[in-house]
Amino acid sequence: MKCKECQMENIEGALFCEECGAKLDEMRELVEIAAEGGNTNIVLAASDGSRLEIPAKDEVIIGREDPISEVFPDVDLTSLGGMEKGVSRKHAVIHRSGTDFTVEDMGSTNGTYVNRKRIQPHAPQTIKPGDEVKFGKLSLSVKAA
Amino acid sequence: MKNELNVRCIMSKDALPVTGSEQAVYALIDIKPKSGIISGAMAANFALVLDRSGSMDGEKMANMKEAVGYVLDHLSDHDLVSITIFDDQVETLASNQVAQNRDRIKANVESVIARGGTQISDGLRAGLKEAMKGYARERVNRILLLTDGRTWDDEDASLTLADEAGKQSIAITSIGIGDDWNEKLLLQIAERSRGNSHWIQNPISILDAFRQEVDGMQTVAAANLKVTIHMHPGVQPIKIYTTVPMIADVTHKAVKNGIVAADLGTLDGARGQTILLEARVPAEKAGRFRLGEVEVSYDIPTESFKAQKSRTDLFVTFTEDAATATKVNAEVMNLVEKVSAFKLQTRALTEAEAGNIAAATQKLQAAATVFLNLGEDELAETAEKEILGLKKTGSLSSMGTKKLEYGTRKLTQTMK
Repeated sequence: MKCKECQMENIEGALFCEECGAKLDEMRELVEIAAEGGNTNIVLAASDGSRLEIPAKDEVIIGREDPISEVFPDVDLTSLGGMEKGVSRKHAVIHRSGTDFTVEDMGSTNGTYVNRKRIQPHAPQTIKPGDEVKFGKLSLSVKAA
Repeated sequence: MKNELNVRCIMSKDALPVTGSEQAVYALIDIKPKSGIISGAMAANFALVLDRSGSMDGEKMANMKEAVGYVLDHLSDHDLVSITIFDDQVETLASNQVAQNRDRIKANVESVIARGGTQISDGLRAGLKEAMKGYARERVNRILLLTDGRTWDDEDASLTLADEAGKQSIAITSIGIGDDWNEKLLLQIAERSRGNSHWIQNPISILDAFRQEVDGMQTVAAANLKVTIHMHPGVQPIKIYTTVPMIADVTHKAVKNGIVAADLGTLDGARGQTILLEARVPAEKAGRFRLGEVEVSYDIPTESFKAQKSRTDLFVTFTEDAATATKVNAEVMNLVEKVSAFKLQTRALTEAEAGNIAAATQKLQAAATVFLNLGEDELAETAEKEILGLKKTGSLSSMGTKKLEYGTRKLTQTMK
């Protein structure tokens, strides 16, 4: 497989050129492939019906975007009134481990609640579809994707 | 058999085209504790090895003392701690002991005055000796080395000590302050002992680095983590990288005679560990093909679990359907791209060190492009600046080198 950028010959199947780091094989299609054992995603649903996708990564930062401080959480709650409802810029993190999810408060000012109970900062708490998670005063439901 | 860890294995492609020739394939192996596992219940055995050379005087020394106070206040009564200080002489301020005489130890630390030169190996040797006194398989055994200067002609001795610490499962976290220290040495000390490394530009951040270290020790979920991959005959492991706490190429240590056996130390309960395997698979006919078996073994001392094992097979399917074979897993692709940036940066710095300016410039330019693709604009800007510097002066700046070395190794950290 020849690199279009530097003409270096790479082994078939290589994703990036060994010589210049350019992407090889532009024809490929990126997909989310389920890991062995299956993989269930969740979404956070607001009372107005909007659904926030949880990106397929192991740590997803939930918070409020603030370009001045260069804070860009993975899931931005600004459009749901995050500022008025006391969501911190880096409020919480959702960890994924296989099919399990936990939410961890990152020491936010107004706290994170799971099913109306405030969770301790930096102590991950299991969440599953059907649970209610509240960031500050912003309440969201956990649903299967 | 208990199975307390989740092991996810994801191939870069589930389906490979039948090509009649060998192909590259990548496997991401992600290890996380199951949600029921309580992280952080393991007691710590923590040895601080701190630089008190003359250049530490002022803000650095004041912040270091405050950070030591934080450590002492946040260790549990059953944790062990020792404090060694060094310049060109070594002094043990607190020999290995339970972290209870906090006020007395703090008073000893408070009395430290900056003086002398920097002899890292002497400090490290004494600190390792203290750590060994409290060593137990059931503890999180760790050394924190902090320095702001270049050591005097004892780099090799320091690296030998890092190897020794690694063999004893005592990870060394190395911290450099300012820009007048040898990043290559501190990174190697960390990598050889399976530890972490930080670069602190402002002394006020010393406390954050110490806090991070204490938090890290208190979220360890498993110890003596080992990953073994038995490859199917004909499948050749090419490279293996660990990504927590930073990207490291562990191929040299982990791959022997076609078998991958990587010692990974402790497992961070929050971040887990993610490994990237790059392998070559032989030409195969259409059908399902087993690349190998991944075995993860670990201890959970708090549950009295020893040498627990979790096994998963690596499979791909060879297909004649070209469309199916173009599908690449996005998560694996993203990790391979970050590792690719790390490789380019490493090669650029090696070329620059050897005086091969044209090759270094070319590699740095390539790295800058990958940084931009990854959205790492600051790193891309640093690489561009260093390219200009290389062309003008024939060398890289100390600051730029540190930014690139640390920035690329920590590309896999999602929380900045």
